[in-house]
Amino acid sequence: MKRKSQDCPSRLPDNSAVKQQQLPAYRLQLSANKILFGFFATGVFCLGVGVILLLSAKTIKEVEINYTEKCANCAKLRENAANFDKECNCSIPFVLPETMKGNVYMYYKLYGFYQNLYRYILSRSNSQLVGTDVKDVRNCAPFKTSHNGIPIAPCGAIANSMFNDTIILSYNLNSSIHIKVPMIRSGITWWTDKYVKFQNPSFQNLSSAFAGTTKPPNWPKPAYELDEEDPGNNGFINDDFIVWMRTAAFPTFKKLYRRLHRIEHFTEGLPAGSYSFNITYNFPVNRFQGEKAVVLSTLTWSGGSSLFLGLAYMVTGAVTWLAFFSMLAVHLRLRERKMFFLQQ
Amino acid sequence: MTEPLQWARYHWQRPTGSENRDDHERPYSYSSFLAFRGKSSQTPRLAGKHRVVVPHLQPFKDEYEKFSGTYVNNRIRTTKYTLLNFVPRNLFEQFHRVANLYFLFLAVLNWVPLVEAFQKEITMLPLVAVLTIIAIKDGLEDYRKYKLDKQINNLVTKVYSRKEKKYVDRCWKDVTVGDFIRLSCNEVIPADMVLLFSTDPDGICHIETSSLDGESNLKQRQVVRGYTEQDSEVDPEKFSSRIECESPNNDLNRFRGFLEHSNRERVGLSKENVLLRGCTIRNTEAVMGIVVYAGHETKAMLNNSGPRYKRSNLERRANTDVLCCVLLLVIMCLTGALGHGIWLSRYENIPFFNIPEPDGHVISPVLGGFYMFWTMIILLQVLIPISLYVSIEIVKLGQIYFIQSDVDFYNEKMDSTVQCRALNITEDLGQIQYLFSDKTGTLTENKMVFRRCSVAGFDYCHEENAKRLESYQEAASEDDDSADTPSGSLSNMAKPRAPSCRMVRSGPLGSISSNHLTGSCFALGGGASEVPHSRQAAFSSPIETDVVPDTRLLDKFSQITPQLFTPLDETIPDPPLETLYIIDFFIALAICNTVVVSAPNQPRQKIGLSSLHAMPIKSLEEIKSLFQRLSVRRSNSPSLASGKEPSSGVPNAFVSRLSLFSRMKPASPVEEEISQTSKSPQGSGNSACPIETEKQDSNVDVTNGKVESLPGQPLACSLCYEAESPDEAALVYAARAYQCTLQSRTPEQVMVDFAALGPLTFQVLHILPFDSVRKRMSVVVRHPISNQVVVYTKGADSVIMELLSVASPDGPGLEKQQTMLREKTQQHLDAYTKRGLRTLCVAKRVMSDTEYAEWLRHHFLAETSIDNREELLLESAMRLENKLTLLGATGVEDRLQEGVPESIEALHKAGIKIWMLTGDKQETAVNIAYACKLLEPEDKLFILNTESKNACEMLMDTILKELQKKNPASPEQASSEALHQPPAPPDSGLRAGLIINGRTLEFALQESLQRRFLELAARCHAVVCCRATPLQKSEVVKLVRSHLRVMTLAIGDGANDVSMIQVADVGIGISGQEGMQAVMASDFAISQFKHLSKLLLVHGHWCYTRLSNMILYFFYKNVEHP
Repeated sequence: MKRKSQDCPSRLPDNSAVKQQQLPAYRLQLSANKILFGFFATGVFCLGVGVILLLSAKTIKEVEINYTEKCANCAKLRENAANFDKECNCSIPFVLPETMKGNVYMYYKLYGFYQNLYRYILSRSNSQLVGTDVKDVRNCAPFKTSHNGIPIAPCGAIANSMFNDTIILSYNLNSSIHIKVPMIRSGITWWTDKYVKFQNPSFQNLSSAFAGTTKPPNWPKPAYELDEEDPGNNGFINDDFIVWMRTAAFPTFKKLYRRLHRIEHFTEGLPAGSYSFNITYNFPVNRFQGEKAVVLSTLTWSGGSSLFLGLAYMVTGAVTWLAFFSMLAVHLRLRERKMFFLQQ
Repeated sequence: MTEPLQWARYHWQRPTGSENRDDHERPYSYSSFLAFRGKSSQTPRLAGKHRVVVPHLQPFKDEYEKFSGTYVNNRIRTTKYTLLNFVPRNLFEQFHRVANLYFLFLAVLNWVPLVEAFQKEITMLPLVAVLTIIAIKDGLEDYRKYKLDKQINNLVTKVYSRKEKKYVDRCWKDVTVGDFIRLSCNEVIPADMVLLFSTDPDGICHIETSSLDGESNLKQRQVVRGYTEQDSEVDPEKFSSRIECESPNNDLNRFRGFLEHSNRERVGLSKENVLLRGCTIRNTEAVMGIVVYAGHETKAMLNNSGPRYKRSNLERRANTDVLCCVLLLVIMCLTGALGHGIWLSRYENIPFFNIPEPDGHVISPVLGGFYMFWTMIILLQVLIPISLYVSIEIVKLGQIYFIQSDVDFYNEKMDSTVQCRALNITEDLGQIQYLFSDKTGTLTENKMVFRRCSVAGFDYCHEENAKRLESYQEAASEDDDSADTPSGSLSNMAKPRAPSCRMVRSGPLGSISSNHLTGSCFALGGGASEVPHSRQAAFSSPIETDVVPDTRLLDKFSQITPQLFTPLDETIPDPPLETLYIIDFFIALAICNTVVVSAPNQPRQKIGLSSLHAMPIKSLEEIKSLFQRLSVRRSNSPSLASGKEPSSGVPNAFVSRLSLFSRMKPASPVEEEISQTSKSPQGSGNSACPIETEKQDSNVDVTNGKVESLPGQPLACSLCYEAESPDEAALVYAARAYQCTLQSRTPEQVMVDFAALGPLTFQVLHILPFDSVRKRMSVVVRHPISNQVVVYTKGADSVIMELLSVASPDGPGLEKQQTMLREKTQQHLDAYTKRGLRTLCVAKRVMSDTEYAEWLRHHFLAETSIDNREELLLESAMRLENKLTLLGATGVEDRLQEGVPESIEALHKAGIKIWMLTGDKQETAVNIAYACKLLEPEDKLFILNTESKNACEMLMDTILKELQKKNPASPEQASSEALHQPPAPPDSGLRAGLIINGRTLEFALQESLQRRFLELAARCHAVVCCRATPLQKSEVVKLVRSHLRVMTLAIGDGANDVSMIQVADVGIGISGQEGMQAVMASDFAISQFKHLSKLLLVHGHWCYTRLSNMILYFFYKNVEHP
């Protein structure tokens, strides 16, 4: 050893574990038994989770009322753009057969609205929405500026096409007493949206912050007047606006509109009985052959009423088990044959 | 069984016969050439196919401009890029890659505003990064080549300069066609040139062509006819002839042209007159020539077909996968675009979410779909993994780093490790199916070592010598723990041991490092204590030259005294027959060969008489008369000696006469001393050389100090033997170890310094050179002591055994003895063969003068006959070589490199088929194939050796049939599509080996027989191609590679393997003794064959699995999660 270190020739490579690729390593040795066990266990897990998810989704109570047909007259009115300033109301009575316990959420649901259209998604100005530059309307074409060149705030196709129906739920205790169900319009957005991604320009007065800009062409009011009741809910941080701006992935989608304020009659949730939706019909859907609906729903730990997740788990589990059984069969047959050969 | 043929003789060489042949052949080639020229001057078709070379000197300036001005000069450039064209050319090369082109397209697409999806600049980034990294890599590789070119271009040679009227040093790159170049011994030839002058009095120049064709023997080249006779060097000033020759071509074995003197006289030129670039001058003090081809037009460069861009198989697979991805992408985008168009056209009005153009009007669904297509291509581009290629390259760099830092590839002797020269085919190492190997220098060390001999029925196993060799071997694979064992030396190796013939495979002697050993050896060997340069002379490494004598044999040697012979004519009881056999045996070893004796020191003058040989001999009659004169009286006038060796020529002749005298007198004190020393076995091994030194000194004394050519040099020890084949040299070295030293050789006489008998001078009466039909060679000499005509024959055992005398003339007792001797020797021979030794039998025959005269008469008749001369000569040889008395046998080992059989076995086990392609002759090749376990003794051998295409076809058919019968192959084998399928598993029935020689290979490679040949080869376990030219080697590889569609690997060490290395999927060069050309052309360079198994089976496997997993993951990552 000593001699070697003395006249170690120059080109002798290092005899280190790294260079000789002798670092300790573990390589999974897959045997038939291990794989079979793995498949079996995965199948059990998936089926179990699927069953639980499905059961929990079944407990959810949901009411969906499609009002496209029911407010046909309003729809007709809206088809003509000239009638944009004419208000159209529509009342839809319905009966809740059993109490919806716990938190109740109200959604609006659109059918056939392709919010996922690529160019539609891009049609927004993030720098404007985050409040850094109100007049930055770069990607918003063609909803960049009004005819006379004033930049639109908020610009872009998404903002312009914002859902603007007003839905009010009233509880009919009896035929004469109609109680407006108290609803909260805050807390329906993602926290990051509300406090990070959407910010009003920092000005004392909101209307002066939007000075030099104009409202989107389809909007009746400018952005700083979206919520007349709560001045803190105006501008880019308006909850409904934020919800709309988070574009949906599928043409059929529902977006959270309000949540139940659990006071007075409604501390337990929505009691069974007769209700009605009073809808101010603004958003035209006939143009794109779409439909509108309003949805009342409760939630559980696993989310909403969708069965998708549970079914996905069930299917995965079933396929895994199928694979498990077929592999088991092959394995057993092969082993049998091997035994057969060995015996010979 | 094997047919071990022992020593190579390629050419009919100098001694006596050669003049005849040359005289016969030269006019023939000349006239045929003239005929060719005559035709060419008439037909303009051929007019452009030759070049005219005139001296590149002032008086011929106009003419030179006219003819040779356009010929390229000797500068070579193998780089791909220059500084100027690097960027455009490299980009051009890189965009050959589909992926790069694709990414460029995407980047450009993103600049189109209608479809843009991302920030324009950002999309450029990955592409730019990829291109830059690869460009840097390519640049570095090219720079390395550039440096090597520069090194070669700046080698210095001596070119005649008119200005200075002498030869001046000039770089190789400045040499032009028409320059006169003077080269000294051991210099490398810078360009193809016609030999005009050689210091050799016979106008011969020896060159070593190993860098061109891998044959390590020396070749002879002739000075152009007409210049041979000139005494002094050709003066370039007076050279006014012009040379016309064919245009540059890559045929190494052809050169046609003529030299036209100013008086319109023409002299034909053949390949014998041409020195080729890359060869080395050996054994000749100086030569002079005129350059005819330079630089890239030299035959050596033309033979190097340019490097091929090697793409690994895996990369090709990945490429197709990428193409699949592209297809998938296009389908996806088309679907998207169509869907988009259809969906848009469903709406009567414009929905909110369909954004109109900036100018307000809405695009039509069709156009929208069209735009959507391109947009989607940009969006889904991640489907094609751009980073895949860069990642592969980087991973491969890492793999190369690991391969290069593997300790197991380190060779201590040469201080070298594996070199990865191609950076992108590491994983192909793990996919090799066919391996093509060179033999000499790749599988073997190309060192012939004398191992054992059997004389007069006694086997001398040379145990000490074996131990010495063992220690060489173990010194190479030296391990640390042996350092504490007492270090051996030559003296304690030579310690006598119980004479058992068991070879000791391992022992404490392993501790001697090779340097130590060679060093000590040389210290003993005459003062040259420094480690010899490996290229000092062909076949002269100490492992071959130093033979430790067998002690038992030495004992018997001690009985030899001159008295054995002196009373020969008196009637004193016969000397013991065995001693006589021993003497004859060693004399035969020393003289029955064509070894050239030379001193290794720089002016390599041939030691010996400058001969009558220099005199132009015109006819056979003259030779005959000359011989008759010679046989009567030895001393011929030395005045014929010419050239530069008067000082060595005259005294040597004198010595020879004196030596005749000196052997007559009783033993000199010096000789007594020798016999004493040789009696003590311990000292004998290492004291051989000093004794010879002394002896030489005594010779010098005798000749009154007239050996002036090498003043003060220990002549005997520094003698160098340069043989055509290493076997011959090994035998001569073996004889020298027993103080039977070959001192000089001329066509007429051979001088041997025999230990106890003093210098003996044999008159060479005739030499029957080796040929592959007879498989033997014979020397007819007049024995200086008995004055009898003695025929010494050595050859393959099978032939010699049949030629032994059946009825001994000396009575039944001797006959019985001969039979016994024969049986014993045969046993020994069988044992040798089993050990993989190359065996030779040595026999002699004593002829009476009348017998000889009669034979000579017949022989001359045979030589002069024109019709079926070959047959007559053969017959004549048969008449001489019969009634032989067996003397003994030798066993020579062409040492395999360490670990070769194990490696081959491992590779076989891994399912790799191994072919051996060698330029060597069949017997040697087969022998080695057995020794390295390429062929097993139980294998059935099929030998394809035919002279015509039809015979070849028939033979192939019969072999195929036989194979099919023996090995009922699966039917798909027969179908042509299934050729690339692995053949029947090796354990099914018989293993077959195929031996094919070069000539037959030529037929087999022809279009019509290719398929059959491949089918045959695919059924054989191992294939040996012997006598294959470099081009054939590469053709074989090409054929297998393209037709069987398999991954091939070629391994070789010489320049003759270069083309094969370049053609194969993976080329491996062995950085051995034979130049660097193979390494330069290779993808990987290793120092020993045994490293191949780890390189392929460990690193190749790792590289392949790792890389393929990575690629798979890349696709998974890109397709699954875009």
